[in-house]
Amino acid sequence: MDVFLQQVVNGLSLGAIYALIALGYTMVYGVVELINFAHGDVYTLGSFFSLAILAALGVSGELHGAALLGVVVVTVLAAMLLCGIVGVLIERLAYRRLRNAPRLAPLITAIGMSFILENVMQLWRGPSPVPFPPVIPNPGVTLGGVTVTTKEGLAIVLALGLMVALQLFIANSKLGKAMRATAQDREAAQLMGINVNTTIAATFLIGSALAGAAGFVSGVYYGTTWFFNGFQAGLKAFTAAVLGGIGNIAGAMLGGFSIGLIEAIATQYIPAGAQWSNVVVFSVLVLVLIFRPSGLLGEALPDKV
Amino acid sequence: MPPRVFTRVVALVALASFAGCASHSAQTTSGGSADKTIEIGIDLPVSGADASTGVPTRNGAVQAIEDANARGLPDGYTLKAYDLDDAPQGTHDPGQGAQNVRQFVSDPAVLAVIGPFNSNVGAAEIPITNDAGLVQISPATTNPGLTKGAAARKLRSSHPDVNTYFRVNATDDRVGATAAEFARTLGLSRAFVIDDDETYGKGIADIFAAVFASHGGTVLGREHLTKGQSDYKALLTKARALSPDVIFFGGTTSTGGGQLRRQMVDVGLGKLPFIGGDGIAEAAFVQAAGSAADGTYYIVAAPQTSKLPSAQRFIAAYRKRWGSDVGPYSANAYAATAIAIAAIRKALIASGGAFPSRAAVLANVRNTSGVATPLGTIRFDQNGDTTNPILTVYEVKAGKPVFVEQVSRKTS
Repeated sequence: MDVFLQQVVNGLSLGAIYALIALGYTMVYGVVELINFAHGDVYTLGSFFSLAILAALGVSGELHGAALLGVVVVTVLAAMLLCGIVGVLIERLAYRRLRNAPRLAPLITAIGMSFILENVMQLWRGPSPVPFPPVIPNPGVTLGGVTVTTKEGLAIVLALGLMVALQLFIANSKLGKAMRATAQDREAAQLMGINVNTTIAATFLIGSALAGAAGFVSGVYYGTTWFFNGFQAGLKAFTAAVLGGIGNIAGAMLGGFSIGLIEAIATQYIPAGAQWSNVVVFSVLVLVLIFRPSGLLGEALPDKV
Repeated sequence: MPPRVFTRVVALVALASFAGCASHSAQTTSGGSADKTIEIGIDLPVSGADASTGVPTRNGAVQAIEDANARGLPDGYTLKAYDLDDAPQGTHDPGQGAQNVRQFVSDPAVLAVIGPFNSNVGAAEIPITNDAGLVQISPATTNPGLTKGAAARKLRSSHPDVNTYFRVNATDDRVGATAAEFARTLGLSRAFVIDDDETYGKGIADIFAAVFASHGGTVLGREHLTKGQSDYKALLTKARALSPDVIFFGGTTSTGGGQLRRQMVDVGLGKLPFIGGDGIAEAAFVQAAGSAADGTYYIVAAPQTSKLPSAQRFIAAYRKRWGSDVGPYSANAYAATAIAIAAIRKALIASGGAFPSRAAVLANVRNTSGVATPLGTIRFDQNGDTTNPILTVYEVKAGKPVFVEQVSRKTS
């Protein structure tokens, strides 16, 4: 039972990272119907930005108390801002001109952007895994044989906090309304006086900023980062978005946490499970899509022709 | 971009790449038999994650060619290194290796190939050199199936009875066995075995598990990593539940060795010894594992060059030539190349100055004896493996590999 609960903790913290990345996929898809394959690499970029910010702050070891909190807040916000800017630039440079092109063109462009980002990161920090300073002290809380480390706590709390903030923002703010309107019908939104270009840029800004936060979390959580991390993580996060219902924010969260949990539990209870966990994840995806083609929480978009 | 402009761009790119091919083949065939230049193909991974050990290995081979040229060959022949990279995408690639070896085969001036470094690349290359009858000497591939048994016969698809693949290093059966025996001498008895599901990693892990069990240890479980995976916590939590006293890893730094070691600390297994093979014997592993690297033991299928009396001159010459210390496989590469050169020299003498045939060089390598190399004199057994494999055990202490012991597993 302890092992099971420990794996639940592992799965939730892994799922938190997937969920944060999945939000960016799902927001962008909801608004422009583009699968932004470069998104996974923006996430990796977030961890490299965090690394650079920590170096600039002169942090190389464990921190405690107020200093820890301050450094974490500053680093997360700065990484989110930088990734957000990169996301906006990607949209402006690579996708905007193709917005009305056949759907294959922006898709291929997205794959191209992904390669560009991967290679830029490889040139920047080299092809080997890069160590991350152990900012957060390792000990955590042990409850009846189950240990929740501070890092795992941070991953889950930060992810949940950002998701709630995002949900409130989309539901209540003016820009959030504009996003929903643009997602529903771009032309009608434009007729109503919504600046579609700004709204789409804002979508990329927020989605990429969340990936930036995920990048910081993953760097702290694993203690290393690698230019190629975004490929596998991006694929899983995209799967999470589809599992939850692409275009649906709560669905992305649910999908991310589900996939993290399935991976951890499958690893534990299937012989040679680390190898089979992906098979289990994708089997679940196939099954869900057979019975609920629009995902767990997704609805068929009613207003799209 | 309008379609016509796009077509033109594609056409231009295609033209440019053709031009690139043409100029390259012109450059390599110019060293043909007419002007007395013999080429030695070198296929090693020299970029990306593999560069840290690949480059010093390549340097060893190049140095042997330079030394031979300085000494001179019969009838005014000179040697030239035809140097290709099998890791242009940042990690060793069997497809790229096969393509490189095809280039060597199609160039008649190439009489021997040094390399590759990785077993899966070797498996892709052997059918090609076997078909062409071109001798290949590897400084580092350790999978037993490349030279031994039914697996090796299958790789020699054109001529199953003719071996063209030789190696100067010890093999995985010896690495895995040495690791298992060493773990038992440390008093470890409960092993959890993890590999990366590649030819090399799975090979050493299989043998480790078998020998560890036959020496009275218990193998608690066996897991395989997936390519590109970065989260090993679930897997390590599963291992911890079985309370092992050692984790064995069959794999390389680029397939996750460093991250695996680091995450052992996070799940509370940081105090356990972590044992691996040559794949994690590099600075990049220590960098990726960080402070967790301490307590790692690895077994290298090569002697520690500095402990070999026969290698002292080579070490000094290497430092003078390249301005850095030898890598773990530099001496192996030098030895492999020296054997190939001695075979070419003998073939030149026998042919009376005519351009030697690949068959003659192959026969001379097979029967090589008495060539002084940094590893001592090397002979090959009927499989093409060295008869005097020497392995070294290292421990990582304060981020630095520390020599533990040298193991000789002489067969004849």
